[in-house]
Amino acid sequence: MSSLPDSRQLQQRFTKHIRTGVRTIIPGVAQDRLAHYRHAIFHMVKDTMESAYPVTCANIPARKWDRMVRDFFAHHACTSNQVWKLPLEFYTYAVENNWDEVYDIPYLSDLLAFEWAEIEVFNMEDIAPAAFTSTGNWLETPLVLNPEYRLLSFKYPVHREAKRARLLKEQGAWFVLLHREPVNGHVQFTGLSPWLAFVTEQLAAGITVKDILEYAPQLGITVTAELEKDTIAFLVDMQRQQFVLGFQP
Amino acid sequence: MVGLGFRREFAEEMISGELITPDFIEFAPENWMNIGGYWKKMLHRVLEKYPVLCHGLSLSLGSPEEVDKTFLRYVKSFLEEYKVRIYSEHLSYSKCDNAHLYDLLPMPFRMDAALHMAARIQQVQDYLQRPLAMEIISYYTPVAPEMSEADFINEVVQRSGCQLLLDVNNIYVNAFNHQYDAKAFMAQLPLDKVAYIHMAGHEQVSPDMILDTHGHPIADPVYELFEWTIRQIRPVPVLLERDFNIPQMQDLQEELTRLKSICHQQWKHHELVA
Repeated sequence: MSSLPDSRQLQQRFTKHIRTGVRTIIPGVAQDRLAHYRHAIFHMVKDTMESAYPVTCANIPARKWDRMVRDFFAHHACTSNQVWKLPLEFYTYAVENNWDEVYDIPYLSDLLAFEWAEIEVFNMEDIAPAAFTSTGNWLETPLVLNPEYRLLSFKYPVHREAKRARLLKEQGAWFVLLHREPVNGHVQFTGLSPWLAFVTEQLAAGITVKDILEYAPQLGITVTAELEKDTIAFLVDMQRQQFVLGFQP
Repeated sequence: MVGLGFRREFAEEMISGELITPDFIEFAPENWMNIGGYWKKMLHRVLEKYPVLCHGLSLSLGSPEEVDKTFLRYVKSFLEEYKVRIYSEHLSYSKCDNAHLYDLLPMPFRMDAALHMAARIQQVQDYLQRPLAMEIISYYTPVAPEMSEADFINEVVQRSGCQLLLDVNNIYVNAFNHQYDAKAFMAQLPLDKVAYIHMAGHEQVSPDMILDTHGHPIADPVYELFEWTIRQIRPVPVLLERDFNIPQMQDLQEELTRLKSICHQQWKHHELVA
């Protein structure tokens, strides 16, 4: 009968050291080789985060960024089988642990959300759009939107700016639409006013432009001919960008 | 048949087939499942051109915890959808305490670990309705061993009925790092179970350590070991892996051609198989 712990315990000790650096002695394990595993795996995780969040990483002091990744890897049990989804867990961990305050970066969760959304929309599974025709009435016919999109709202305009001082001056309500172009798979970003974000949300629910405009006064919005004209101009432009695909038949 | 690991960095070149023409491709299902858009289109294009084998990364069959059945369902459906001929995994683990570490970690060469791993391989084989080809990994330290590496592998293979994926570079790297004779080690393996071979490059980083990088051309001593190895076994598919420091396609094609020529020379009396 062996006096050593069973394999499960050995594996737990081995991996705990890799994740946390907590010193451990395992029979037969050379400390320098254990250090090699810890170093190699941590850097793989860090590289994955830096590829996913290039803007975030470039605008945070290197030591702070390193501390974030170490904190994440040591204390969060990564559940994704697919490495490309690991950055989502990083973002979620940052939000759950209130990193905006902990690291004194009030726009951090906005920035991570924005960078993750690009990866998500680029990779998301194909979604077949509803049937549509190319002609219809912009006001009265329900529109068919490209279903491969995300509509995000932020406190800071992280889609336009990465510098701390400028971001902090522009706290407010910001909206960004990301959609994937059907043919080439590129992800397009469009900054939206609160009104156009509302319109987009309602169009996705199948409401017509006319009904949205009729509802607008209940939101305190004054509907003018110019608002109607600008709204339709936006939709025409989004048709050119393949976000609006057409009209319901 | 000599194939090449499919990577996004040279997807276009492989699809065009002008500079490089492997007999088949291999990729990790984890990197391609549940995605759409540009890369799904590219995947379909490459699959129109080449037969595919799959090499899993995260089933983590040596893990202390249960097999992830949800993920296994995805794998099964993926293998069926893309008509994958061989599915291989690793004699290692990459998850512990329900946390993925995204690397291939060395199993303790111990009877309880061998029994555990064999049972899990059997469970997966039963579910997938196909044998797994299990790769002998490169590793940099033994972990509290109570039996030899070869005995551990034999125990797992015999009890689970799995096949072996022989990564000749891994054997070379392990033999160097742990100071044993690669051929003597291989002679102890159940070579009749070898269903698939991997070849790759490595880098010596210190006088007593070689890293299995997949970032360099195959080294000459590994070609020599490959030639010796394939004389001991029936013809099986051979794959070139190149994951980093991607060279010109002509250089990769030269490596494929050299491997093919060795296979042809050594296996000329056998019928080539896929």
